[in-house]
Amino acid sequence: MLPIARGEAPATDDLSGKTVATLFFENSTRTRLSFTMAGKRVGAEVLDLNASTSSSSKGETLLDTALNVQAMGVDGLVLRCSASGGPQLVAKGVRIPVINAGDGRHEHPTQGLLDALALQEHFGRKSLDGLTIAIVGDVGSSRVARSNAQSLTALGADVVLTGPPSLVPEAMAELVTSTENTRGSVRVEHELDGILGSIDAIMMLRVQFERHGGLGIPSDYVEQFGLSVDRAARLRDGAPVLHPGPINRGTEIDPEVADGPRSLILDQVTCGVAVRMAILKGLLSRNS
Amino acid sequence: MTSLLIHGGRIIDPDSGTDATGDLLIRNGCIEAISTDSPLPRDADSSIDADGCLVTPGLVDPHVHLREPSNGQPHRETIAIGSRAALAGGFTTICSMPNTQPPPDTADRIKDLVSRGKMANAARVYPIACGTMNRAGEEATDVQKLIDAGAQGISDDGDGVACDAVMDTILQRVAAADTCFMQHCQDPTMTLGAAMNAGALAVRMGLGEWPPAAETSMIERDVLLNGKHGARYHAQHLSCSKSVDVIRKARAEGQTVTAEASPHHLLLTEEACEGYNTIAKVNPPLRTSQDIDAIKEGIAQGVITILATDQAPHPPQAKETDFASAAFGMVSIECALPLYKRALVDEGVIDWSRLIAMMTCEPANLVGLPEAGRLRMGGPADVTLIDPDLEWTIDSSTFLTTGRNCPFDGWSVSGRALASIIAGEVRWALPGARMEQTAIAGH
Repeated sequence: MLPIARGEAPATDDLSGKTVATLFFENSTRTRLSFTMAGKRVGAEVLDLNASTSSSSKGETLLDTALNVQAMGVDGLVLRCSASGGPQLVAKGVRIPVINAGDGRHEHPTQGLLDALALQEHFGRKSLDGLTIAIVGDVGSSRVARSNAQSLTALGADVVLTGPPSLVPEAMAELVTSTENTRGSVRVEHELDGILGSIDAIMMLRVQFERHGGLGIPSDYVEQFGLSVDRAARLRDGAPVLHPGPINRGTEIDPEVADGPRSLILDQVTCGVAVRMAILKGLLSRNS
Repeated sequence: MTSLLIHGGRIIDPDSGTDATGDLLIRNGCIEAISTDSPLPRDADSSIDADGCLVTPGLVDPHVHLREPSNGQPHRETIAIGSRAALAGGFTTICSMPNTQPPPDTADRIKDLVSRGKMANAARVYPIACGTMNRAGEEATDVQKLIDAGAQGISDDGDGVACDAVMDTILQRVAAADTCFMQHCQDPTMTLGAAMNAGALAVRMGLGEWPPAAETSMIERDVLLNGKHGARYHAQHLSCSKSVDVIRKARAEGQTVTAEASPHHLLLTEEACEGYNTIAKVNPPLRTSQDIDAIKEGIAQGVITILATDQAPHPPQAKETDFASAAFGMVSIECALPLYKRALVDEGVIDWSRLIAMMTCEPANLVGLPEAGRLRMGGPADVTLIDPDLEWTIDSSTFLTTGRNCPFDGWSVSGRALASIIAGEVRWALPGARMEQTAIAGH
C-alpha cells in the first residue's frame, strides 16, 4: 500500500462499487482527508457526512445516525466522536464495518498503526524489539498515546509515557493488560531531560489546551517538556521525532526540529493513507 | 377488615429481639398477638401457613427514586408504579428522594407527594424533602415547615451539598426539627466529567475518573460540622473503604452518624463497566473488591447499619447511549432481598436477624418512623413473608418498575419475598405463591 500512498504505484480498484461514509462528530482535517484519500486509492467511493450540519445537532443519537447511513446502502463507516466507546456502541448496532477514527480519550487505532508503520519503515524492520520509544506531553487526555501504547508494545517496543504528573497519571503504566500479544512494556516518567539519551524515538503530543481549560498544564510546561533544538541535539544519533499533528510550532516542538532531518512527521501522514487503505480493503472486501 | 392468622413461620423482629417459630395474629389491621411458645387458636377469619417462611416486619427502604413529578423529563416511572414495585420486593415502607422536577422544596409540594403516595395505595411512601431550594446547593430550605408538611427527612440526593456554610445551616435546622439529613456524599467539584471509579480501568477506557476522596472528604467535612449540631446525619450509599473508616471513627466518638450500603456496592466492581456497559454506571460508582470487603467489614462491625437500594429507574434511551452521556443509576428493589442475602448472609457477614434489622427497624429509626420496621403489639400490622431459600432467576422484563436498568438481570439467586402485608391487608403476593389466594380474598 505504501507505494500507492506515495504515488509511486497506480491506485487499485479493489473496492470498486463500494461506498464508505465518514462520520466525524469532532473537527478533523488530517484524519478525515486521509481516509478519503485511502478510500479513493483502493477504488471506493467516499462520502463525507458533515456531522455539525447533520441531524445529530437536532438530537438524533449516534446510533440512529449510523443506522440511517447504513440504510442508505453504505458499505462501511469511519467514525470519530468525542464519546469514549462511541464506535463500539455503533458497531454493536449496525451490520457494516465501523472504523474508529478516534473516540474521546480512548483510542485512535489507525493512528497507532500508522505510527508503528512509520517506525518500521524508519528502522527497516518489522519488529520493534529492543527499541525504547517516548511519548511526551498530555498523555492522559491522548487517544493517540493509548493506541500507540498498544501497537508499539505489540511489536516489541518499550514505551515511556512522559509528562508532568498532572498530565500523566501513574495508572497510565497499566494501559496495556494483555500479555498475550505484547512483548514490550509501558512505564511512566515525569522528567524528559533524564531520558533523552536513552530512547530510540520520541513522539511529541500536542498540548490540548481546549480539553483542560488550561488546568493541569504547568506554567513552565514548554520549558520542561518542549522539544527544543537543544533537547533534540541530546537525542541518540538518528533517533527520529514523531508527532501525530496538528503541531503547535514553538510550543511542544520547535520549528527547526519539526522540519529537521530527524522528523518523521510527514512520513507519518503518508503511512496514514497506506494503513487506512489496507484497513478499508481488508474490512470491505470481506463484507461483500 | 377482620382477622388474619400467620402461623408456623420463623418470626424475626429484631427490635424486640424475637427470632423464633410461632404464630402472629392480626386483627383490624393491627398486631393483636405474637406467640412463640404455644400455638394461637385457629379461629381467625383467614390464615396463612408460613411453615418454612420468615415472618418479618414490613421491609423499609429509605432510598428510592419514584420520578414523580417529572415535568419536562421523559420518565415513565410514577409514585404508583414505584411503590407497587417496592411491594414486590417485600418493602412496605419507602422514602422517596427529592430529585424530581420540580423538587419538593416547599410545604405544598411535600403535601402533594404525601397525598399522591396515599392514593397509590401500595407501599407506604414517605417523601424526603430538599435540603436546599431547587436542590441548587445555595440556599437552605425551611426544614421545620417541610417536616411539618409530612417530609420524613432532608436530602439533596443526587447531589451532595458542597458549600460548607449552607451545609452548616442545614444541619442546624435538621437538629432543631429532630429529623435526619441524608447526604449524597460526593463533592461535585471533584467529579466534573467523571463517569466511573478512578483507576487504571477508567484510564484505559478513556473515561472521566471519579476519585473515592470525593466521597470521603464530604463525609469528613459533614462529621466535623455536625459535631456542633448533633443532627441525625446519614451518609448514603457508601462506596469506598476510607468512608467506612470515617464513619467508624465518628460513631466511636459518639456522633449521631449512620450510613447505608446498596446491593450494587456489595456485589459489583468497576469491572462491570467493561465494554462501556452503561447499566453499570451509577453514582457513586462501582469500585473495587477491596472496597466491597471494607463495606462488608463495616456491616459486620455495626458501623454500617442500614441497607438501601437507591432504586433508580431510567427509560431505555437514558442508558442506550455512550457511557459518558448515559444516566447514573440502576434498579434492584424487586430483587434486593436475595442480593443482600447473597452478599451478607450466605457469606457469613451477618445472620438473618441482623439483615432484617438493617432492612426494618434501623432505617425506620433513621427517618423517625416509630411504628414502622417492627412488630409491635397493637401497632399497624405491616408484615413481610419471605421464603429464605426460594431459588429463582432475576428477570428484569418481569419487574413492576418501568426501569429495566438492572445489572443483576439473569442472576440466579435464592430467597424472595412471598407477600407484603400492610395494616393486615395482603397488598401484594408473589404470583403462584400460597399467599396469593389470601391476597385475592383480602381484596
